[in-house]
Parts: sequence; structure tokens; C-alpha cells
Amino acid sequence: MIIIDKNAISRTASIDVKFFYNNAKSRFKLTLHSDETGFSREIKDQNVHRPGLALAGFVELFSYERVQIFGNTEITYLKNLSVEKRLKSLHKIFEFNIPCIILTDGNQPFPEMVDLAIKQHVPLFSSPLLTTKLTYLISDFLDDQFAPRASIHGSFVDVYGVGILFIGKSGVGKSEVALDLIERGHRLVGDDVIILTKKGEGILIGAGTSLVKHFMEIRGLGILDIQKMFGVRAIRQQKRLEVICELEVWSDGSTYTRTGLDETLEKILDVEIPYVKLPIIPGKNITVISEVIALHYLLKHNGYDAAEVFKNRLERAILNKSKENSERGVNYFEHDFE
Amino acid sequence: MIESRVKIVNKAGLHTRPAATIVKLASKYKSEFFISKDGLHINGKSIIGVMTLAAEMGSELLLTFEGIDEQQMNDEISGYIRGGFDEL
Repeated sequence: MIIIDKNAISRTASIDVKFFYNNAKSRFKLTLHSDETGFSREIKDQNVHRPGLALAGFVELFSYERVQIFGNTEITYLKNLSVEKRLKSLHKIFEFNIPCIILTDGNQPFPEMVDLAIKQHVPLFSSPLLTTKLTYLISDFLDDQFAPRASIHGSFVDVYGVGILFIGKSGVGKSEVALDLIERGHRLVGDDVIILTKKGEGILIGAGTSLVKHFMEIRGLGILDIQKMFGVRAIRQQKRLEVICELEVWSDGSTYTRTGLDETLEKILDVEIPYVKLPIIPGKNITVISEVIALHYLLKHNGYDAAEVFKNRLERAILNKSKENSERGVNYFEHDFE
Repeated sequence: MIESRVKIVNKAGLHTRPAATIVKLASKYKSEFFISKDGLHINGKSIIGVMTLAAEMGSELLLTFEGIDEQQMNDEISGYIRGGFDEL
């Protein structure tokens, strides 16, 4: 069983507007209308807010700590006010410590709004994207930034499209199995330090760290660069975690599943992931078994569970009280001497 | 289990050479050894892991040792880090 140490779990508390802008400007087609003086302001909430009511004067319960989205409603409301009233209305919002303002749907800011934003050091952006689309995109981006993460010691490989994370004690041969799989045409996501991020409910996405990427250590050789050595086909940047495979030196005390009827699940960040424990014994090819694990997962995913099918065959045979069960599988070898 | 908090005192931080030494020292022992810093939780017996910390001068590491020889392991490794990797 693996334990994710409490020190291995982290969650970003806030991102600054600079980070948001650098990562979001091309994705969300953002244009900056103010200057960069407010770029140190922090975003602490993954939700966005439409400040319609706050503009109208109701600032109780105003979710000021969120990214403020000005859609057509807000802009049309402001447009219908006199310049004086408009400034007054905007002032009310700028009094709060808001992280930034984004105008959607191609709306352009009023000149006095730009002046106010620069004066108060509040970043002001606009985007041609529709309000609903932009809201969805920003929420997804922020959701990912604020998602809980766990770092785990292991090797993460995409085997036939199935993300298998190999864990186990140091020196048990995780990297060697990964290398063997790469040589057979599978793709390395990361080795040694894997960061798992919870995406939505029930999904974990794994990636290597930005420093290590696709470097790997093989004992006796030292540090290798997998991408340089095997090319771009041998790597991938991220992969959904689908199976955890623990390697351990075989011991008499441990028990291993024999039928596979009961699936063992391991919980990481409240997400349950199928878990397989593999004993390492001489003459056992872990790489081939890993490929079989992936194929087995794919079959199960497609609705075919070998253990279940075999169980049903056995039950039917018992029910029929047939004596043929222990008989030869072929009734008559008709002139077949091959 | 033993937990130790240590500070990196070297100007160059925890660079390649001391990282390799830490791993080498750790491999002598049977106990499990993990290092935590800023949400990263890495196996202290893995060179890539230790280097991933990219620990600069002044940064604090939490070391955890667990196993039959955890006391000696803690003494040697914590001592090596606190002593500035024998570089000072």
C-alpha cells in the first residue's frame, strides 16, 4: 500500500495577475488597457464574478476577491449612465481590493474607466470572447491552478494509452521498467518525481517536474536524457493516471491477487485508482506484464472482464452438473497431426 | 520515525555534488528517507529527486527517516547538511 505523505500534498493559495496574464493572454485573447503597476495583485478564488449588482450600488456580499467580468449587461448599464454617475458607480467597485477586471465580447473600456484603473493600479483587460465562453475558460484555468497536488516517488509511463504509475522502494527497478517500456515503443511521462493534479472530480493528471522533465537516472549509468536519446515519440508531457503498479521484492508474507475478481483501489487526493501489486522474482518480465496490465485495463474499460467471464463459465458448468468440464477441450482430433 | 528540520547554509545551495553525496550516504542505510520542501516530497535515495528540490541557500528542508537504522542515518545526513556539505 502506498501512503501519500501529508507533506506531499499542496495547494496553490494565490496567483498574481502577472502570472495569470502571461499564461492567459494568448489563450483568452486578452488586451491590456491599463499599465502593469497592478500586476502584483493576487487572485485567490477560482470563480469569477459579474459585478452587476455592485455597479448598481449593492455592495453587501460583493465577491470582490474574484476576477471581475464585465459583460454586455454591465457595459450597457454603464453606457446608459452620465459620465459623472458612471464614475461614481465604478468608484464603488474600485474601492475594493479586486484582482483585475476583464471586459468580454469585444467591449472597449470607457476612457474614464481606463484612467481610474491606472490611478488605482487595477489591471484592466478586454477580450473578444463571449462572456459565457470566457467565464468557462477562466474558471477552468483557475480551477487547475488552485487544484490540490501531490508529489509522488515513481515512474509514470503511457502504455498503449493507459497511464501506469510504477511505485516501490528505491532501487527496486522502477526506472529500468520504464526504460524497457520506452524501448518497446511506449512513452515516458516522468521519472522519479511525479506531480499529480486533481482535475475535476475523479481525475488525476500526472506530469514530471519542470526541472527534471524527461531526464532519468539509471543506476550504474547516471543521468540520461530520454527525449534526446529516443526522440519525441518516447515522451509525453502529461497523462491521466489510470493504474498504479507497485513493485516489490517477492516475500513469503505478502499475498497477491490470484483471480482478479476483486479490484483493489488506492485513494489519492480522494480519487480512487486501480492498484496492482507485482512481486519481482527471477525470470519474471515486468515489462511484458506491464503491457498486459494496460491491455487488461483496456479490455475491462471496454466491458470485458476475463475473471468475471471465467467465473460465469465455472458457475454454469457447476449448475449443469456436466462431467465434460474436465474433458479434453477438443472432442475429436480429426486427421490433424500437426 | 524521526523528523529533522535543516537549513541549507551553502551559498551555492544544494547543487549536484552534495546531492550525489546525500544519496550515496542514504544508500548505506536500510531506513526509508524522504525530503519535503514546498509541497514536494521526494525520496532521499534518488539523485533526480534530491536535485528536483533545487534548494537554494537559506531554504528549509524537512527530513524524515523511518526504519531500523533511522537514528544513525539522521545523525549523518542532517549533520552533513547542517555542516555545509563539508564545503565551508
